Amino acid sequence: MTVVEPTPATAAPAPTAGRGRAPRVPIDWQAVWAVVNKDVTAVRRSKAVVLPMLLVPVLMLVGLPLFISFASARNGGLHIDSFLSNVPHHLAAPILSLPPKQQAIVLVLGFLVAPLFLIVPLMVSAVLAADAFAGEKERKTLETLMHLPISDRDLYLSKLLSAFIPSVVISWVGFAIYLVVSNASAWPIMHRIFLPTWLWAVVIFWVAPAVAALGLGVMVRVSARARTSQEANQLGGTVILPIVILVVGQTSFLLLAQIWVSLTVGAVVWAIAIWLNLRGARRFTRDMLATRL
Amino acid sequence: MDQTGASFARVALRYVTPRADGQTGHSTPIGGGAAAGDVLSNPAIETYELTRRFPSGVALDHLTLRVEPGEVLALLGPNGAGKTTTVRLLNGVLRPNGGWAKVLGVDPEVDPNEVRRHTGVLTEHAGLDERLTAVENLLATARIRGLDDQLARRRIGEMLERFGMSDRADEPVRGASTGQRKRIALARALLHEPEVLFLDEPTSGLDPSAIRDVVDLIGSLATEHGRTVVLCTHFLGEAGQLADRMAVLSHGRLHAFGRPSELASGLWRGLPTEIDLGGPATDDLVAAARGVRGVQLVHALPNGLEVVVDERQVLPQLISRLVELDAEVFGVVPHPPTLEDVYFEIEARVATKGSSQLDGEVPPPVAPPSAATRKRRHVRADGGVVGPSTPPPPPPPPAPHPEEATR
Repeated sequence: MTVVEPTPATAAPAPTAGRGRAPRVPIDWQAVWAVVNKDVTAVRRSKAVVLPMLLVPVLMLVGLPLFISFASARNGGLHIDSFLSNVPHHLAAPILSLPPKQQAIVLVLGFLVAPLFLIVPLMVSAVLAADAFAGEKERKTLETLMHLPISDRDLYLSKLLSAFIPSVVISWVGFAIYLVVSNASAWPIMHRIFLPTWLWAVVIFWVAPAVAALGLGVMVRVSARARTSQEANQLGGTVILPIVILVVGQTSFLLLAQIWVSLTVGAVVWAIAIWLNLRGARRFTRDMLATRL
Repeated sequence: MDQTGASFARVALRYVTPRADGQTGHSTPIGGGAAAGDVLSNPAIETYELTRRFPSGVALDHLTLRVEPGEVLALLGPNGAGKTTTVRLLNGVLRPNGGWAKVLGVDPEVDPNEVRRHTGVLTEHAGLDERLTAVENLLATARIRGLDDQLARRRIGEMLERFGMSDRADEPVRGASTGQRKRIALARALLHEPEVLFLDEPTSGLDPSAIRDVVDLIGSLATEHGRTVVLCTHFLGEAGQLADRMAVLSHGRLHAFGRPSELASGLWRGLPTEIDLGGPATDDLVAAARGVRGVQLVHALPNGLEVVVDERQVLPQLISRLVELDAEVFGVVPHPPTLEDVYFEIEARVATKGSSQLDGEVPPPVAPPSAATRKRRHVRADGGVVGPSTPPPPPPPPAPHPEEATR
């Protein structure tokens, strides 16, 4: 039998020292939006993700106004005097000046729901972010994605946006529904449109996106390390839930105090969220993801 | 060690020696800087001492190889051999702990996106989002690859048509069979007409009919446009059908690299051949066969002889000698070593040596596997091969009598 002689080789190994790095390239927005579009389309078709994600907003933004308006309309309305006695005078005074039946509606729907509303962007962003990488692993689509020509930075950015945009959109659409339901259901008592207020505007357009970004800053990184969405949610729950409690508990009265305080709270949350996300983006690599596949 | 005895190691080592130009790892334009036809100095894929470690151990250990443009290379090895890690390293998904790689002249560690723009990958799992339709899956990929929508939609239509998936184009992938998903995934891998195609276990999970379809498709892909294909598989059937050369990996180390015939010539000396005499050979015929120059071994079989000859050219002389002794020759069937023979022999030697590279101390070559040895392996319906140690083999035929078995 003939032995085929391969080409003789005499070379020294190519040196690895001095290897350059590819120059930093601008963000490939086409690739980023392609991933965002794919993810959002897929989520829209996933009842398992959409239904739990919409349950809390529906209860809070539709169910709560209906209940408060209904309860206020019955008998003499809700008795909130003892509660208002514990509220700072500058907050309580304008409410106490209202007719008794209107007091509970303005207090709850005009003020107290505002900080609670922050749960919506936080929860939606957390659910979607948990699915960002862990869901792809679970569906065995992550490897394919990693083999595509999108940089690590752009991939991370696209996953952030895939969760951030829907959470903000859901918050804003939910708020619009809340306005309609609250004003409509309370109309027999209020006889005027009492929402939105400046406080709500700050919460919706400044604080809520910041809170969504804060949730992402934590959950996308958790998702990149978890093997399944469930694991990501469980891991995230140990971080996200304390944040929820902290945010709601500590900022409730701050948000109610003055507009400038609400703006400051939003700025602080934004700063933390941006820091977390930038840190996450810098540390994120395909290599890290592939190692955990 | 005699010349032939060392040839296996030489074949392996020569093929794994790095390129001669001492090129650095800087990123260079794909397709640029090389004269047309300057194939030998511009491999499609080249690695040197490529190494990757995980906390669980070494996944790839000093891999050095070179794949020429238009070549189909089969990366063979059991699960955990390092095949998928190799693809991930070559496509810049993983970063090496040591060594370097170049794909189309670009170091994937330096400019992974540039590499990925020119490669297509079919992963073991089709990797399609079940909630999206075939077109939506492909369109997302096309957009990420920078194709404009009009061109992408035209290409998607063409590819789905080619792979016989047009009728499922707008249906969610959820309802597609595994074979259909592989077809869609193949279409996706080829959307941008990549110069290098990585196929990681392309037929795993498929039924025999789907395997045949996919193997045929891959065969046609490999021959068009001079596309380079790296085929990771542990199914030797498809590797044998498609690959020009094979690299055998085990525990992250390259144990052999070359054409099956080259590797076989390094493993064994001689060509086993069955001679059908219509009945048992007489002692005179056995003795006469042994007396022919170039005949290494003679086994008596119930219907004739099994011989091992130095080379094919010995056979006419041997047949003439048998005919001179009034033997009736009904058939002569040479059995050159198959890919399975080569693979299992390499595995066996690696297991025996427990070593990294079969270097210089390869056991002296013996006769290639006989028909009886081959029968103990089973090619599964899905193309995978079960080795002799894997149950349940049929009862092996009785071993030849020692006196008959050796010269």
